[in-house]
Amino acid sequence: MRRSTWLLALPLLCAAPALAAQTVQNATLRRAQQAFDNLDYRQALTTAHASLRERLTGFERARAYELLGFTYSGMDSILKAVDAFKQVVLIEPERDLDPNRTSPKALSAFQVALTQILVIRQLRVDSVNFIGGQGVVGIRYTVTQPSRVVTRISGGTLGSMRIDSTVANGQVNIRWPARMPNGDPVPAGNYNVVVDATVGQNTFSASQPIRITHGAVDTLPHLTSLPGYTYLPETEVPPKSWRPMGLALVYSGIALAGTSALSHGDLGSASMREGGVIGGGIVLAGFIMTLKKPAPQPARGNILYNSLLREQIARRNTEIAQENTRRRQQVALSVVPLPRAGGGR
Amino acid sequence: MRWLVCAVIVLLPVALSAQHVSIGPQVAFGDYREVSSDLHYRGAGAGVKATLTWKKFSADVDLSKVKYKPQTSAATADFDASEVDVRLRYYVTGPVSAELGFINRKMKPEFEAQSVGAVTLGARMAYVLGPGVRMSLNGGLLFGSKFSGGGTTSALGALQLGLGITVDALHGRVLVTGDYGFQRFSRKTDDGSGALPAPIQQSLGRVGFAIAF
Repeated sequence: MRRSTWLLALPLLCAAPALAAQTVQNATLRRAQQAFDNLDYRQALTTAHASLRERLTGFERARAYELLGFTYSGMDSILKAVDAFKQVVLIEPERDLDPNRTSPKALSAFQVALTQILVIRQLRVDSVNFIGGQGVVGIRYTVTQPSRVVTRISGGTLGSMRIDSTVANGQVNIRWPARMPNGDPVPAGNYNVVVDATVGQNTFSASQPIRITHGAVDTLPHLTSLPGYTYLPETEVPPKSWRPMGLALVYSGIALAGTSALSHGDLGSASMREGGVIGGGIVLAGFIMTLKKPAPQPARGNILYNSLLREQIARRNTEIAQENTRRRQQVALSVVPLPRAGGGR
Repeated sequence: MRWLVCAVIVLLPVALSAQHVSIGPQVAFGDYREVSSDLHYRGAGAGVKATLTWKKFSADVDLSKVKYKPQTSAATADFDASEVDVRLRYYVTGPVSAELGFINRKMKPEFEAQSVGAVTLGARMAYVLGPGVRMSLNGGLLFGSKFSGGGTTSALGALQLGLGITVDALHGRVLVTGDYGFQRFSRKTDDGSGALPAPIQQSLGRVGFAIAF
C-alpha cells in the first residue's frame, strides 16, 4: 500500500470507534465504512453510492459523502473528492476536519470545497450581561465566499430587525448594542440571530437562537464612611497647666494690692481680712483646678475635619442617590445563546 | 397694682425660662472706716445675692446688712449698714464686660455713720479657672456720691474694686459664691473754714451659696 493511502486511512481508522458511536444505523453505509477501513476503495465507493440511494438521516448522508471524499482523495480523484466534500459542508456547514488526523490531500480537497460554495460557518453569539445602552453583544461568523451578508434578529414581538449589512469574506465580527431603532433595549424574549449571505443566485442562511432577559440594575449602597477616613474626636483634653493657679494668684494679687494702694492714708492700713479670705479661696480653687484633669476642650481642627468629612459623605450620598434613581430607570440585559436545532441552508 | 402683681407672677417664669437665674443667701463680714483711723468698725451680717444672665446681658443684685462694732475707743456706738448694690453688665469681648449700676448704703442709727448713694461705672474681667469654677475681678468709679452728712468727692475720688468666685456644685444647680468688695470715698466737707477730708472706706466680704435655675 502506498504511504499516502496509509495516511488517508489513518484518520478513519482512528475515528472508526467514534463513528461507530454515532448513530449510523444504515447497514449499507456501515459496509461502506468497513470496506474503507479494509482499504477496499472500489467496494467502499460502490457501497457508499448505494447507501446514498437509500433513506438516510442527515448525519448518515453527511458521513456517506465524507466517506466518498476521503475515498476519492485516496484514489487521487480530487475533483470528485471536492464535490463530495461540498455536499458534506452543505449538509453540515460547521463540519471541520482535524488537520492533525487528516491527510493533506483530503484537507486540501476540503478547503477547495469550502471556497467553491457559499456557507456561513461558526456563527457565535457571546453570552453577556450589561446595562441597556452601555454594552454590546459580540456576534461572529465566517463566510466562505465574498458576498453580501445581512445580519438580522427575528422573533418575539420584534418581527425582523436588521443589525448589520456588509460585503465580507472570511471572519466577521459584529458588536450589537441590543437596542431598538428608537434607542430602547430589545424586549425580553427568544430571538434568532439570522445571517443571510448572497452572491449572485446563491444564498445561504445561518441562525443562532438567543434568549434575552431583562433584570433590575443593581443599586449602590449609601455610604456611612469614606474608606481610609475616620471621624476624629471633637474634643481633646489639654495638657495640665499651671495657668489656673497663676491667674488666680494674679487676680487675687491685683485685688489685694489694689486695696492696699487705693486705701486712704488717713484711715490707717487697709483691712486685708475680707480680701484675703476671698482671694485665698480663689487661689485654693486655682490650685485644685491646676491639679485636676483639665476639662475636654473643643478641637477646632478635628471639628472642621469632621465637618468636611460629613459634607463629603453627604455629597457622595447625593450622587449615589441620583445614580440609583438613574439605575432604577435602566434595564440589565442578559443575552444567552441557546442550543441550535440545525445548520443553515 | 393687683394686675401688675398678677402679670409678674404669670410672666416671670416664662421670662426666666430662657435665662440663667441664681439666688441665694450669703454671710457678710466687713471692715468700715470713716474720717480717720480712730473710727474703725468691724462686723458681720447676712446678705442675699441674685444674678440674672440673658444673652450678653447680666445683672447682679446684692443686698447685705452688716452690724458694725467699734474697734477703737474713739468709736463708741454700734450701727447697722444696709447696702443695696445693683450692677447691670454687658459682655464686650474676651473676658471683659462693662458694668453700670448703683449702690445705696443706709446706716442705722442714721448719724452714727454716713449713709451713701452713688452710681457705679466700671469693667469686669471674668475667667474660667476650670470646669464649673469662675472668678472675676472688677473695678470702677463711683459717680454722683451723696452722703447723709453732706460732703463731696472729686471725679476720681470715689472708686471700688472687687473680686469674686463661683463654684458649681450638684451639676450646676447649686453655686458656692464668694465676693469681695472694696469702696473708698475721698469725701471732703466744708463747714465754712475750708475743705476738710472726711474719707469713707469699706471692705466687705460675702460667702454663701445660690440656687441656680
